[in-house]
Amino acid sequence: MTEQEFINLYKNNLDKVFRFIYLRVDKVETAEDLTAQAFLKVWQRQIPVIASDEALPAGRQESPVISNPTAFIYRVARNQIIDFYRQKKKVPISLEELKEKGIDLPQKSFLSQIELSFEMENLKKALQRIKPAYSEVIIWHYVDDLSTKEISQILNKNENSVRVLLHRALETLKKELNKKV
Amino acid sequence: MTEKELLEQLNELKSIKPNEDWANWLLSNILSQSSFVIASEAKQSQKPKIHLVSFSFLHQYQKALVSVALVVLFVSTFAFAQTALPGNPLYPIKTLTQNARIALAPKDYKPVIRMQIAKNRLQDIAQTHQKDNIALLSQNVQKDLETIPKELKNIQNKNKTLTYSKQVQTEAQGLKDIISQTQLQPQEKEALEKTSQEAQNQVLSLIIDTQDQINNCPTYLKDKLTNLQNDFAQQGQNLIQWPPDDINKVRVLVSDIENDLKAGNCLEAMDKIESINQILQIHSLDIKVETSKPESSD
Repeated sequence: MTEQEFINLYKNNLDKVFRFIYLRVDKVETAEDLTAQAFLKVWQRQIPVIASDEALPAGRQESPVISNPTAFIYRVARNQIIDFYRQKKKVPISLEELKEKGIDLPQKSFLSQIELSFEMENLKKALQRIKPAYSEVIIWHYVDDLSTKEISQILNKNENSVRVLLHRALETLKKELNKKV
Repeated sequence: MTEKELLEQLNELKSIKPNEDWANWLLSNILSQSSFVIASEAKQSQKPKIHLVSFSFLHQYQKALVSVALVVLFVSTFAFAQTALPGNPLYPIKTLTQNARIALAPKDYKPVIRMQIAKNRLQDIAQTHQKDNIALLSQNVQKDLETIPKELKNIQNKNKTLTYSKQVQTEAQGLKDIISQTQLQPQEKEALEKTSQEAQNQVLSLIIDTQDQINNCPTYLKDKLTNLQNDFAQQGQNLIQWPPDDINKVRVLVSDIENDLKAGNCLEAMDKIESINQILQIHSLDIKVETSKPESSD
């Protein structure tokens, strides 16, 4: 992946990835931390990006390539969240981990202050209460505007399964919200 | 909430965005990692790769490993305990295991196991330099030695009585020497030797008697049947008070004895006569208890 390819990936997906993570965790700081780690991983892996309709160059058939950068970054972000909750059971995660990886910690003034309305806060909490698989597809499809085809690429499932999953997820979220009203 | 309202709310979540300064800072910071990453990769390519042994897989098997470790600890403690001597903290585990062996042994085979264990305990007493704890242990051995002949006498099958009595006799060889090697007080040693000798004498007597009964079964059987007849005659009117179950048991046994006699199975018939005798003894005790009751003061 060239620097330009990474910059494009970063600019096109940062908001979505950050939002996806933020809606699945409690704090803005945690979302920033996990987002940074996700993009850093993609950059450090240096995996070449190949357009899906492009033929693989000779000698690249066996090596890993990224044919869908958006699906790839979402998969990395998803794993970051899973790791975060797994580690949270053992030790609290901190920004120090980023420092250990060679990244300077941001100045305090950089930290975002996101203020959500009461309804949005409720919605965020409801998304965190339902099954992670449901909240993921809802965020991707209804918030980040990913098509069912793109979601199917992230999840390695067929489109029909994604549609069924989306339907069930939306029903579950509706029930969860109505339960609390 | 309707689906439309929900979708509207979800749409509003699109307004969530990271801080722009933070986003710019992150990008520049990540890109600055390139030189670091490339440099470190170059260094790695020059060096031969060393793969350290990872034990992370152990976490997956943590529960199983803990269980295995506990079993190993348990088994090894029991194994070590088998070589312990009196005074050793593990010795109670050894005695516990020995008691369990006696408890779990088949009823007729218990005296053989009991003799083996009594001998082992005496050997332990002889090997230890402790003097404090051995007195109690020797008393327990004495009780075991007293119990063995009683248990052998209670075996109904004459062939088994003879076989197991002979095994006990073999196991008991050398007991005198072992007792003499112990550091017990002279009085305790003398008492133990006396009990051991008495037990061995009783076992020997039982072997001779049983062998005689087996060899002269028909004569013994005739005597036994005569005794049985007399015993029932003594019961007289009391037979009416017997529980129906016991009467049925005796009837079945008498019928079996008749069959055994026809088939020439003298020893089997003798065993059954012993069983009837046991039932008779129980009811004879009842008669004794009833006749010894004090008369009412009225």
